[in-house]
Amino acid sequence: MWAYIFRRLIYNVPVFLGILLFVFAALRVNDPVWMYLGKGATQEQYETKKKEFGLDRSYPVQYFELLGDVVTLNFDQKSWGQEGLTVGELLGSSIKPSLAITVPALFLTSIISICVGLISSFFRGGKVDKTLVILAVLGMSISFLVYIILGQYFGAYKILKETGASPFAISGYEPGIGNWAHYCLLPVMISVIVAMGYDTRFYRAVMVEETTRDYIVTAQAKGASRRKILFVHMLKNAMIPIITRIMITLPFLIAGSILLEMYFTIPGMGRTLITAINDKDFPVIQVFTAMFAALFILSNILTDVLYALVDPRVRLS
Amino acid sequence: MALIEVRDLDKHFPVRGGFLNRVVGHVHAVNQVSFDIKRGEILGVVGESGCGKSTLGKTMIRLLEPTRGSMRYEGQDITELSHAELMPFRRKAQIIFQDPYSSLNPRQTVREIIGEAVRFHRIVPRDQEEGYIIDLIQKVGLRADAREKFPHEFSGGQRQRIGIARALSVKPDFIVADEPVSALDVSIQAQVLNLLMDLKDEFGLTLMFISHDLKVIEHFCDRVLVMYLGHVVEEMNCIDLQDSASHPYTQALLGANPINDPSDRRPLTVLEGDVPSPFDMPPGCPFAGRCPHQIELVPMRADAHIGIAPLDAGPSIQAIRRFLGQCMQEMPPLETYVEGHRVACYAVDAEAVGAAASR
Amino acid sequence: MIKKFLRSRGLRKLLSNRLAIAALGVIGLYTGIGFAVFLGAITEKDTEARVWTDSYPGYPHHQTAEKRLDNCEVILSRVMRVLETEGELSEVAFAERSVSDASIEELTQKVQAGLALYEEIADTVGSLNDNPEVLPRIEQLEGFVDDVYTPLTGWSSLVYDFRLFFGTDRQGRSILIRGIYSIKVAIQVGVVVALIAVLFGSVLGAAAAFFGGWVDHLVIWLYSTFSSIPHLVLLTLLAFMFLGHPLETTLIPLYVAFCLTFWIGPCRVIRGEALKIKELEYVQAATAVGFGRFTILWKHILPNTSHLMFINFSLLFIGAIKSEVILTFLGLGIKDGASWGIMISQSQAEVLNGFFWQIGVATALMVGLVLAFNILTDALQDAFDPKHV
Repeated sequence: MWAYIFRRLIYNVPVFLGILLFVFAALRVNDPVWMYLGKGATQEQYETKKKEFGLDRSYPVQYFELLGDVVTLNFDQKSWGQEGLTVGELLGSSIKPSLAITVPALFLTSIISICVGLISSFFRGGKVDKTLVILAVLGMSISFLVYIILGQYFGAYKILKETGASPFAISGYEPGIGNWAHYCLLPVMISVIVAMGYDTRFYRAVMVEETTRDYIVTAQAKGASRRKILFVHMLKNAMIPIITRIMITLPFLIAGSILLEMYFTIPGMGRTLITAINDKDFPVIQVFTAMFAALFILSNILTDVLYALVDPRVRLS
Repeated sequence: MALIEVRDLDKHFPVRGGFLNRVVGHVHAVNQVSFDIKRGEILGVVGESGCGKSTLGKTMIRLLEPTRGSMRYEGQDITELSHAELMPFRRKAQIIFQDPYSSLNPRQTVREIIGEAVRFHRIVPRDQEEGYIIDLIQKVGLRADAREKFPHEFSGGQRQRIGIARALSVKPDFIVADEPVSALDVSIQAQVLNLLMDLKDEFGLTLMFISHDLKVIEHFCDRVLVMYLGHVVEEMNCIDLQDSASHPYTQALLGANPINDPSDRRPLTVLEGDVPSPFDMPPGCPFAGRCPHQIELVPMRADAHIGIAPLDAGPSIQAIRRFLGQCMQEMPPLETYVEGHRVACYAVDAEAVGAAASR
Repeated sequence: MIKKFLRSRGLRKLLSNRLAIAALGVIGLYTGIGFAVFLGAITEKDTEARVWTDSYPGYPHHQTAEKRLDNCEVILSRVMRVLETEGELSEVAFAERSVSDASIEELTQKVQAGLALYEEIADTVGSLNDNPEVLPRIEQLEGFVDDVYTPLTGWSSLVYDFRLFFGTDRQGRSILIRGIYSIKVAIQVGVVVALIAVLFGSVLGAAAAFFGGWVDHLVIWLYSTFSSIPHLVLLTLLAFMFLGHPLETTLIPLYVAFCLTFWIGPCRVIRGEALKIKELEYVQAATAVGFGRFTILWKHILPNTSHLMFINFSLLFIGAIKSEVILTFLGLGIKDGASWGIMISQSQAEVLNGFFWQIGVATALMVGLVLAFNILTDALQDAFDPKHV
C-alpha cells in the first residue's frame, strides 16, 4: 500500500514541475515588466525595475528559484499590485474565505445530492423520479452565471427592495461564524444548486445499479422494510463510488468557487489570483497557481489512494 | 528438413512491483521448448490451462517476441527478423484464435475482415477479389451473402468459420490453431473439426493444434506435445497414446477421461498435491509436487514396490536412485527412448517404454 | 463508413428513443438557423443596429407611464439635436423606421411641439404611474413621435415588429436579433472546439495506449499537468499570453484556450478504451497478417472507439458553450458582436432594474440547445456505450 502511495507521489513530481514550467513560460511570453509598467515607461525605468524584480537573470536561474521557493514554502516575495504585502500574507488571508465557501458547499451538496439520488432511485420510474431527473437535466443546462445573477437578484436585491432588510450580501466578506450566513450562505446555496444537477444524476445511477443486485432481492425476500433496505443495505454498498466521486469533485469545487468569489467579491484564493492576473502581479500569479496546482495534485493522489484501498486490482497494476 | 524447427524456446513475462515498479520476477510461460514440425503433419499441443500452450503458439509465429531460443521456418531463422523482413513469413503462417467473440473486429464486415489480408498481400488481382472471397466463405460452410454482415450477426461456430476463412485467405502453409473449438458447444465442435480436417487436406496445410482436451487431439492429430508449466514433458505419436504414454502427467490426462467400456473399471486418476506457480518456479521437475510416483515414493522409500508404466514392470536400481534425489532438484531432460517418442521423466524405464512400443 | 454506421445496432437503438429524436430535431433546427445566419441572414451589423429606446420590453410591450414619457423625450431630443446641427437624419433612424420625408422645417416644428407637450406632462404633480388621466396625453405625445417617422406598412412593418418582439437591451439593440445571431456564434465555437479537442485528444489517447512506453508516459504527463490547473486559471493564463498579440481580437485565443483545456477528457476516455482493445484478439490477428502498428491503430483501434468520440463531442460542445459564457463574463471571451455570453453579462445591470428580457431570451435559447445536447448525450450513451465508461 505504501509502495503505491510512494509511486503516486513520485509520478506527480514531474507533473508539478511541468505546471511550474507552464506558468513560468506563460507569464514570460509577454514581458512582465512592460506589462506592469505600462506603455509610458522609459527604457531606464524598465531596466531598473527588471533588476529589482530579479528578472534580468537567466531563465533557468529564475525557474529554480521559483521551484525552491515553492518547495520550501517560502512566500516572502513582495506583491507587485498590493503594496506592502508579501505573497505569503496574501495567501494566508485568502485561504479562510475560500474554505468558508468550499467546505460547506462540499458538505451540503454531498448530503443533499445523496438523499435526492436515493429517493430518485428508490422511486425509479415513478413520477417523483422522472420529475427529479428532468429538473436535474434542466438545471445542468442553465449557465452558472445565470444562477449567480438571478441568485443575487432574488436572494439579496429583491428582498432588499421589498422588505428593506438585507439578509444576504452580494459583496464583501467578514470573518467569523456570525457573519458567515450573511456573506456566504447565498454563494454556497448557488454552488449547491449548480452541482446538484450533475451529482444527483450520478448518485441515482449508482443506486439504481445497486438495486439490481441480488442482495437487495434477498433482503426483500427476507421481509426487510423498505427503509432498512434503502438506508442500511443500499447506502452502505453505494458508499464506495460515492466517496470516490466526492473526492473527485473536490478540485472542481475549488475551481468553481473562483467564479463565486469574483461575483460576490469574496477575497478568497481564486479572486486574489484573478485580480493578480488582471493587475499583472507576477509573484502572486506564480505562487498562487503553484499552490492551486499542488492542491489539485494532492486531491488527485488522495482519490487514487482511495480507489486503491477499495479496489485491489488498482494497487497491483 | 522439417517445416518448422524450434530450439530451446523461452518466453518469460516480467512482473513489476515494489517501490519503483521494478521487475521483481518473471512468469515462465514457455521453458526450453524444442521440437520439429514436418510439412503436412498435424502437431497437437495439450496441457492444462496456464501451461503455456497458447503462449507457445503465439511466440512461434512471432506475435510475441521470444525471450530466448530460436525458430526456423523452411530453414530460415525467423527469430530476429525485422518487421519488413518478416512479411513473407507472415503470409505463410497464420493463426486461428480461441475466442470467437473477440477475434473479429466488430466494426468490420466479413468481407473486410477476410479481404484486408487478401489485399495487403495481393493474393489475387483486384478484380478477382470478390470472387475469391465468396469462394472462401462458401468453403468454410457459410453462405455467400454473409460477407456483408457484421460479426455480431453470427453464432459462435459461424464466427470461428469466419476466423478460419481469414487465416486461409492468404494461402498459408502453416496455421496455428489455438484451441479453436474450446469455446464452442460440443455438437458444433465436431463440425468445425471436420471442416478443419477437410481444409487441411484440400489446401495441404501443416497445423499446430492446441487444446486442453486430449481426446480431441488423439482423434485429430498425428503427433502430440504434452506440456506442463511451460515445459514439454512428452512428445509422441497419437496412435500410441493409449498404449505407450509414459510420462505420469500424460497418463493422468488419459486416465482422467472416462472410458467407454463399461467392463473396464479402472479408477480415474486423481492428481493430488500443489501446482507450483509459473512465477519464479522452483528447480526440478515442475510436476514433482503432484506426481503420483513422488508421492508414493517419498514416505515409502526404496523398499516399497514402485509402479511405473507399464504398471507391472519392476523398477531398476538406477531408476530408484534417480527418483529419490533428482526430481526436486533438476529438470529431467527430454530423452528419446524410441524413435519419435521423447519423455522428460526420471521415473521412466527405457526398457519399459521400448517394450510397450513394440506391443 | 457512413453505410456501416447506418446499419449499426446502436443507431437503431438511438432512433427508437423518441426523446433523442426530438433532441436531434431541436439541434437540427438550431443548426439550420445558425447556418442561415452564417450565410448572411443576420449580419454583425444587424446586431449592433439601434432599434428603439433602451431597455424596451418585449411583447406585449407594457411600459409604465413614466417610462413611456421618458422614451418620447429621448427620441425627440435626439432628432432635435440632429436637426439643429444639420447632421444626417439617417443617424436617428431605427432600422426600418426612418425619419419621414417632410421638410426640415416641418420636422423641426413637430419635434418642438412634441417637446413642449412633454414639458407639460412632466410638470404634472405626483407619480405619473398611478395617474390614469395622464395616459391620453402620453398617447398624444407618442403620436407626435410617430409622425416624425414614416409609418411602416406591409413587410417592413412585420420585420420591425419581429425585431422588437423580445424588446431591446440598454443600447436599444434588438434582443431577438442578437439572440439568434448568438446561435451561430455558439454553434461555431462549439463545433470548432469540440471537433479539434476530440480529434486531438482521441488520437493522442489511442496512440498513448497502443504504443505504450515513453509515448504513454508523455501523454499522461501532459494531461496530468493541464488538468491540475483549475480550468478558469488556465483559460485566464492563456488569455493573458495572447495580450498584445495581433490575433487578440479574433476568436483564435478563445479556440486555443478551449482546445488546450478540453482535449484532456476525450484523451483519458479513449486511452482507457484503447488499452482494453489492444488486448483483444482481432488486434493480434491484424499483427499476424502483417499490418504495421500505425495501420492497426488507424484501422482497428480508433474505429472501435468512435462511439466514445461521438459522446465526447456532444459533451464538449456543451462545455464549450457554457465556458464561453463564463469567459466572456470575465472579459476574456468574445468581445464584439453578439453571443450569449455577451448578452448575459450585459444583462446583469438590467436585472437590477427588474428588466429580465435579455437574460431570459439568452438563457432560453441557450437552454434549448444545451438541453437538447444533454438529452442527446444520454441517449448516445445508452445506445452506444451502455457500460458508461
